[in-house]
Amino acid sequence: MSRDGKGRTRREFLWDAALASGVVMGGIAPTLSLAGQAGEPKLGATLIGKLEGPEYILDPAQWPKKFGEAPMLADLVKQGKLPSVEKRVPEEPMVIKPVETIGRYGGTWHRGFTGPGDAENGNRIVSADKVLFWDYTGNKVMPCIAKGWKMSDDGRSTTIFLRKGHRWSDGQPFTANDFVFWYEDVYLNKDLQPVPHPDFMVGGKPGTLRKLDDYTVVFEFPEPNFLFVDILAGSTAMGGGQALQQMQGRTMGAYMPAHYLKQFLPKYTAKDELEAKAKAAGFDGWLSFAKSRWDWRLNPELPVLTPWKVVTPINNPTWVMERNPFFYQVDTSGNQLPYLDRINMGIAENLEVLNLRAIAGQYDLQERHTSMAKIPVFLENRSKGNYDVRLDPALNGSDATLQINHAYEADPEVAKWLLTRDFRRALSLGIDRDQLNETFWLGIGVAGSIIPAESSPYSPGPEWRKKWSVYDPKQANELLDKIGLAKKDAEGYRLRTDGKGRLRIELMTSAGSFIPHTQIAEMIKEQWKKIGIQADVKEMERSLFETRMRSNEQQISIWANDGTEVLYLFPRHALPVDPVEAKMGHPIADWYASNGAAGKAPKDPQMRKALDLFRSAGSKKTTEERYALAQEIFKLIVDEQFSIGTVGQSPATMGVRIVSKRMGNIPARQINAQHCRTPGSSQPSTFFFKS
Amino acid sequence: MLAYLIRRAFLAILTMWAVSVLSFVVIQLPPGDYITSYIAQMSSSGSFVSQQEAEALREQYGLNKPLYIQYIRWMQMVFQGNFGMALEYGRPVSEVIGDRLWLTMVVSVAAIILTWIVALPIGIYSAVRQYSIGDYIATFVGFIGLAVPSFMLALILMYLGFTLFNANIGGLFSDEFAEAPWSLSKLWDLAKHLPLPALILGLAGTAQLIRIMRANLLDELGKPYVVTARARGLAERHLIVKYPVRVALNPFASTIGYLLPYVVSGSIIVSLVLSLPTVGPLLLKALIAQDMFLAGTIVLLLGIMTVIGTFLSDLVLIWVDPRIRFEGKR
Amino acid sequence: MTDPKDANPPAAAAEEGGAVLPASVAEERVSVATQWQLMWWRFKKHKLAMASSVIVILFYLVVIFADFLAYSDPLASEAQRSLLSPQRIHWFDNGRFDPFVYGLTGIRDPVTFKRVYTPDPEKKIRVRFFAPGFEYHFLGMIPADRHLLGVVDARAEDTLFLLGTDEQGRDLWSRLMYGTQTSLSIGLAGVSLSLFLGVLLGGISGLKGGFIDTVIQRVIEILRSIPTIPLWMGLAAALPNDWNVMQVYFAITLIISLIGWTELARVVRGRFLALREEDFVMAAELAGCGQMRIIFTHLVPSFLSHIIAATTLAIPAMIISETSLSFLGLGLRPPAISWGVLLQQAQNIQALAISPWLLIPSIPVTIVILAFNFMGDGLRDAADPYGH
Repeated sequence: MSRDGKGRTRREFLWDAALASGVVMGGIAPTLSLAGQAGEPKLGATLIGKLEGPEYILDPAQWPKKFGEAPMLADLVKQGKLPSVEKRVPEEPMVIKPVETIGRYGGTWHRGFTGPGDAENGNRIVSADKVLFWDYTGNKVMPCIAKGWKMSDDGRSTTIFLRKGHRWSDGQPFTANDFVFWYEDVYLNKDLQPVPHPDFMVGGKPGTLRKLDDYTVVFEFPEPNFLFVDILAGSTAMGGGQALQQMQGRTMGAYMPAHYLKQFLPKYTAKDELEAKAKAAGFDGWLSFAKSRWDWRLNPELPVLTPWKVVTPINNPTWVMERNPFFYQVDTSGNQLPYLDRINMGIAENLEVLNLRAIAGQYDLQERHTSMAKIPVFLENRSKGNYDVRLDPALNGSDATLQINHAYEADPEVAKWLLTRDFRRALSLGIDRDQLNETFWLGIGVAGSIIPAESSPYSPGPEWRKKWSVYDPKQANELLDKIGLAKKDAEGYRLRTDGKGRLRIELMTSAGSFIPHTQIAEMIKEQWKKIGIQADVKEMERSLFETRMRSNEQQISIWANDGTEVLYLFPRHALPVDPVEAKMGHPIADWYASNGAAGKAPKDPQMRKALDLFRSAGSKKTTEERYALAQEIFKLIVDEQFSIGTVGQSPATMGVRIVSKRMGNIPARQINAQHCRTPGSSQPSTFFFKS
Repeated sequence: MLAYLIRRAFLAILTMWAVSVLSFVVIQLPPGDYITSYIAQMSSSGSFVSQQEAEALREQYGLNKPLYIQYIRWMQMVFQGNFGMALEYGRPVSEVIGDRLWLTMVVSVAAIILTWIVALPIGIYSAVRQYSIGDYIATFVGFIGLAVPSFMLALILMYLGFTLFNANIGGLFSDEFAEAPWSLSKLWDLAKHLPLPALILGLAGTAQLIRIMRANLLDELGKPYVVTARARGLAERHLIVKYPVRVALNPFASTIGYLLPYVVSGSIIVSLVLSLPTVGPLLLKALIAQDMFLAGTIVLLLGIMTVIGTFLSDLVLIWVDPRIRFEGKR
Repeated sequence: MTDPKDANPPAAAAEEGGAVLPASVAEERVSVATQWQLMWWRFKKHKLAMASSVIVILFYLVVIFADFLAYSDPLASEAQRSLLSPQRIHWFDNGRFDPFVYGLTGIRDPVTFKRVYTPDPEKKIRVRFFAPGFEYHFLGMIPADRHLLGVVDARAEDTLFLLGTDEQGRDLWSRLMYGTQTSLSIGLAGVSLSLFLGVLLGGISGLKGGFIDTVIQRVIEILRSIPTIPLWMGLAAALPNDWNVMQVYFAITLIISLIGWTELARVVRGRFLALREEDFVMAAELAGCGQMRIIFTHLVPSFLSHIIAATTLAIPAMIISETSLSFLGLGLRPPAISWGVLLQQAQNIQALAISPWLLIPSIPVTIVILAFNFMGDGLRDAADPYGH
């Protein structure tokens, strides 16, 4: 590698330039304090603390020079089984200042999980393996396994800089070659990834990856893609990290341990040999075998970059993880993180048992599967269980959103009304959100439209929360009368205009979500009686729900709109753009993702406009422009009521935190958002046991 | 006796075949096939299942063939010990079921033993002191277990155990032992956790057994030989225990055979509430997720184990009832 | 058996223990009493069975009069009265009989997060018997609006809550009435189907004998040896999710009826086998009676009592099956209301800890099951008056 006049490699030069230009700091977002905003829930204020989290020391001059390590690792070093800590921590580690204090090593974190389907329970905790990340406010992009990044002025290329000396959990070097391996041998392999992924495309055209040197990787696009840094930081297929994006047969994540996985691909090992090995292990063929080998939940031998690695796989009664001796984070005193030795998740297939164990104080920190409805019981047993209850309201506008299928066709009459703006508005005005809030959210939520919390820079403002989203049955009835549904039958329900009797709308719900969508739908059904609309509530199991959606059979489905608080990173619950999950119209998502080659274009010109606006986001250079664009999109969604919001900004999903009094470095309030991989942005590697 | 044995064995095999057919029906019932669910499952978590992969899997499981061929295919797989793949786990079904099957049996058998211990004395007392207050009370208590829905009882007892006794909540093992290899201390841990589920399960069967015991004993007590024995001056207690009870026990023993399926069924629900690592929670989740290979296999294996258990109880009956041994009228 | 029917059965006290009348007279009465009279006398001896029968009758009265006994629309939700505990009716106001309840104001306690209701001493809501309330159709036909209890001049939020409310503010008493109606009628419908299957197959088996008998017997044995819940879970899980409430209702009835028929078939078959050999049958055949006449005039009355007993004993299993299936989420689902659905909604920790009145539906379940069992026991003991 050639060096310039000051003896710096090109890489180092780029890195310094990036530092100097301040681009490393990402978008300068307004630092917001989330307490005391308009629309914040008042009830529960005692349980909602101040938003806080760890800070990151990015200036190498301030990095610690000496390192400490956990006693259990020190023992192994003494026995010669591990290299010394100086050799294990990268030359350019991530230095974290914990939110409270330098912690103590040791201890096992006990949690509850519900089975192999509950992978997110662990994925989120170990999400420090993402390429980039968000800080504890959810607004600032931070380095993660990449120590920095630079986006070209024209937005066509994004360069990331890896950490020198960074090693996989088995001690092998982690370099740009692992990115190249993923790109060339997995992503471009049609057997494994049949079509390019939307997260690595812009304007319908695919991006490419190449390495500049061992520690520099550049992502290139044919068109400007100013969103890409955000994509690498969010919970997306490119930036989501190895743990999340390579489990359950997935093939994304942007990097993979080449030295270990080569043996499972036919390119490097004879196919017959692979097939035989696969069959011997009980798999159908080399494909499913390979996919199981790079699934961190199932394969304890898989090299990872996460703070803890799996010791006992997820399909056991306990899912156990132990510290990664080569983890790249240290605290400001140089102690290699994580502090906690082990994570032990015990299975509780029954949510009541899980919550009961939480109440009994058997879990050290549990924010998943704890139910809001049980808050009174949690509070009652605080001293008995020796824990605190903290509430973390989320930022998304609606935990139970009525997602209208804009591509619905099966029943032309119903399809017509679903595409009629005033019909949707009337349905929205016919919902008594305060009733729902009191019954299902204990009054803690915020009623209104789908827009995210005011504290999110994507939010268009408080007046858009109320627009078309208050309880006004009189106006609803007027609207419905006006659009041609004035005829009613003997029981007061409006009749179809095609003469086939009563107009019935299907509300599809999925069983087993964190929020009782079916009961909420039942209540909405009762409320809609007053505006003469008959709703049929159909509850079905999750995979059937998905199947129906994929075959475009649903009329209106109910789901949370989490992720919309950062519209571009997780848009699927705001607009039908992601074919993986498009409740608002699967054919439209296909059309959008394929740039018109497949699927069906939206019939409504306003929906078309919204999608065009969304598509243009990648070409907006600055974050301010993107925020303004998002606000415009949200205004459109609300005015058109493309989806109807009910109650949100609540702790219903992962917001009820049971924290053992023995734990330290636990933020008083942590950000509860999809892109922050809650509790990822609180850096669980800094959690420790005070006693 | 040999004829009896052969007959029972033949019946057992026939029953197992019927169970396999019924399990197959369970697998086939929901709309769509296994692959549809598999694709939905994969897609909902963001992974692709290519057309070729889907076709290949369909070919492998024979899903594009007529039903009876599919049944034969499945039976072939089963006899080879290959029960298919469990969707959610991505692991072979046999691995997923693992310990759970025989743990189900352990819980069921424990429940039955408990039932015996409770039902026997109450049944005898009821028969001997017919229509007395004691009879009514004892019968009443026995019936409580039958009448109160077991899942309700399970949740209430679990909660009471927690609030009053800080008892361990649910499950059959403490955390330390859950993953540990089998050892004496692990067995002891299991034994410590058994009473609650066994109690709840056992109560339901208690009433039935009390009734049967009572009826049988009443039958016997009316017989001439009892009158004779009394007339000859045998002590009452000695008299009852030595002869009528033992005769009354015979049909009792044969009903154990039918108690086993009843208890295994009940254990499904109780283990759901108490979150026991038995087959129950697994089955429910499999059914709800339409993970049909997992569900069908559980139904099949449960049925088979039950049939084997029943057959074993038949063998016990042979040993207990000499009339059968000598091929008298049953 | 066609004995001449006696004009009036002797007074009940007379044959109890035989103390009052001289033995010879009692014997004579017994010997000329009809089969049914004998059964009745034996049944009466069983005090518990008698009491249970009364209870069962009361419950089925609830089934018929569910609309009347409920006073609140079971589906109407009102968040402001969510999780109310049972209310006390004050019967006397200033010395006069003028039942009322206090109006309640409810807020959510910001510290404990529980809903707290304080009675307002100023607000007395009058309670009346046979008061007008929501409209319904009695027996599905006759429009009516009278209910057992009702309030006068009250808003929806201010009515009466005898057993408290659930999470959505719906009155538990009214829901319990409808739940009873659903669960007991499913039980009855299910057992009727079982009965039909049982008599049909058991009868064929017993009458024809031979190969058919063997086959049916084996089938029965096989079905009895299989754990039923997993199979029925499988069947219930396979029900299309988009069936409406009525369809699911009937499907569940069908499924649970397939549980009980084996027992009934066994009893019927046993009876037929035994009766076939009886003298009176042979006599009838010799006298030249046709098959049909033999069956219906002679055989059926003989085993009818046993059938009734066996059927009664089968009903509890039906009820528990429906309750269990609904509890698992595989049977009836909201908005349908049954005991299983009500218990499913109470099957959580917050119900146990904060709102235990939600568990009240388990009491009628228990009582009804006990009652049917005791009644069936009594019937079975009495079923064969000429036997032991």
